[in-house]
This record gives sequence, structure tokens and C-alpha cells, in this order.
Amino acid sequence: MSGTGERKKMTCAEFQEVLPYIFESGGHSSEMEHLKTCQICSDLVKDLQYIADQAKLLLPLRDPSPKVWDNIQDSLEREGLIRPQAKAQSAGKKKVAEMQGTRDRGQGTANFQPGKRN
Amino acid sequence: MPTAPLKEEKSVHSKSSGKRAAAAGFSEAQAIEQAKVGDPYAFEQLYGLHKRRVYSLCLRMTGNTAEAEDLTQEAFLQLYRKIGTFRGESAFSTWLHRLSVNVVLMHLRKKGLPEVSLEETLEPQQEDGPKKDIGVRDNVLAGSIDRVNLERAIENLPPGYRIIFVLHDIEGYEHNEIAEMMGCSIGNSKSQLHKARMKLRDLLKQSKAEKAVRR
Repeated sequence: MSGTGERKKMTCAEFQEVLPYIFESGGHSSEMEHLKTCQICSDLVKDLQYIADQAKLLLPLRDPSPKVWDNIQDSLEREGLIRPQAKAQSAGKKKVAEMQGTRDRGQGTANFQPGKRN
Repeated sequence: MPTAPLKEEKSVHSKSSGKRAAAAGFSEAQAIEQAKVGDPYAFEQLYGLHKRRVYSLCLRMTGNTAEAEDLTQEAFLQLYRKIGTFRGESAFSTWLHRLSVNVVLMHLRKKGLPEVSLEETLEPQQEDGPKKDIGVRDNVLAGSIDRVNLERAIENLPPGYRIIFVLHDIEGYEHNEIAEMMGCSIGNSKSQLHKARMKLRDLLKQSKAEKAVRR
């Protein structure tokens, strides 16, 4: 063996074995060479890249339900960070808003007590 | 094949939160400072600005609406308790996002769900292996995925795969960050992500084939 002979070509199995670790870096010449000549592995890489690209375009889904904010207030009340009396006033406002069909959950936060923390 | 950088937060305003923000008259930076001293309107403004992003993260990571709402609640409660420790060394959105990821991961650990290291138990070995595609030639996916299909396929991923995929490909965390958060090796994170994408590819091809049959 002279050491300058033709290198053994990479197989699909070998390529796909290392793919998870070279996906972002692009791999070495032997992997790139295999990609150039193998349609199957080339299609696979294209698909995986396409999935990764599409995932980056996904936007936040939707808002949580209003009860999440209500629960946050309840929890802070239990911890003594908000005033129950103010919360009751807020609930009254909420009911009026509901009756008027203009409910705005954001109004319920005026019951926090600034600076009163544990 | 470039690595996704850590994404900057895109503020998501609902109409109502926008109105309230305008009424409060705070920029986000002002709201943060005001929330630190307990201003309720400032905290509400921060909730309005970030609730969708935090909830979406929780929902995608858990795949369960009720759990996602509970975790969103917990994340904002922690925000309320910890905002005083925010020093502005990173963007607030990045800080809150990381806090939220930690809340979800803590919850999943308590539940005892497999996260990363149990990959062999999540799916049969033959489905995970890298050799699945060998000798199989079919159409590439390019151009065939819509958002709804992709969201549905992500929902159907096994939990361990889904978490890594969401953190890396959707939320933009690097493998070293994921490895640190999840207490696994970088190689394990890469391997899991690859398996997640392979599984998604299968699911999406299946969906594509079903559509073709219906036509």
C-alpha cells in the first residue's frame, strides 16, 4: 500500500450514521463527495433541511385562555401579594364589562400592591 | 447547513394588550423597571407582551393544552417573584424564555417523562436507525409542507424527540445550550434532533401520500 491509492467510497449506511453529527457543520470531503453522487442521501438531507427551515418559520400559536391570568392573580393573592378586597372590586368591574360585552381581562390587574413582596 | 442562531424575541401584542400598553405608556424597558418595584400595570403589560410566546412554547413542548396553561401560569408567577433579579445582561425576552423552558423541563422531570437519554425506549430501534432510507427513493418534501401539517406532525412526535426539536429548530437554542438545560451530552442532543427530524419526515410523507390518495 502506497498510501496514495484511491480511498474507499463512503456507503449510504456510513453517511447516514454520521449525518446527525455533521448536519450543521457540513461534514468532510468524503461526506460531501457521497452527497454529490448519491441521490437517496441527497434527497434525505434536502428533506431534513427543509423540515428545519420550515420549523423556524412557525409562529407562536395563540394566546392562553383568560383564566390563566385569573389564576395568576389568585395565586398572588394567596401569597399575600395582592389585596383580596381589590380583587373583589375587580371582579365586580369584570361582571359589568361582561354584561356590556366589552370584557377586558386586563382591567383585573389593578389589585396588585406595588412593592409588597415576600 | 448553518446552525440557527438564538432567535431574538418577536413581541406579540394582542389588540387588548397593545391598548393597555399604550394606556400605561411604558416602553418594555420601562415596564420591566416598573414591574421590579411592583407596579401592577407594568406586570400586566409584560404578561400581555409575552403570554403568547410563553404559552406557545409550553404547548409545543408538552403537546397538552391544560398542562401548557398551568405551566404558563407558573412561568409568569416565577417572573413576578424573580423579576428583581433581572439585570439586563441578556434581552428580557431571552431571560423570560429561558425561565419558561426551565419551568417546563422541571415539570417534565417531576412527571418522569423520558427527555433525552431514553431514546431507545421511545421508539423501536429499527424505526430510529439511520439506515432506514437506504435503497429507498421517493419524492422530496420540498414545497409540500404547510404549517398545519407540520404542527400536527410535531404534536405526534414522541415527547423526548418533540422537546429537542422544539428547543432547537423552533426556538433556536444551540445544542450546547440544550445539553446544559437537559443534562445530556451535545452528541445526544444532536442524535435526538436527527431522530426527531427523521420521524417528522416519515409523518409528513405519510400525510402527503394520504392526501394524494384522496385526490
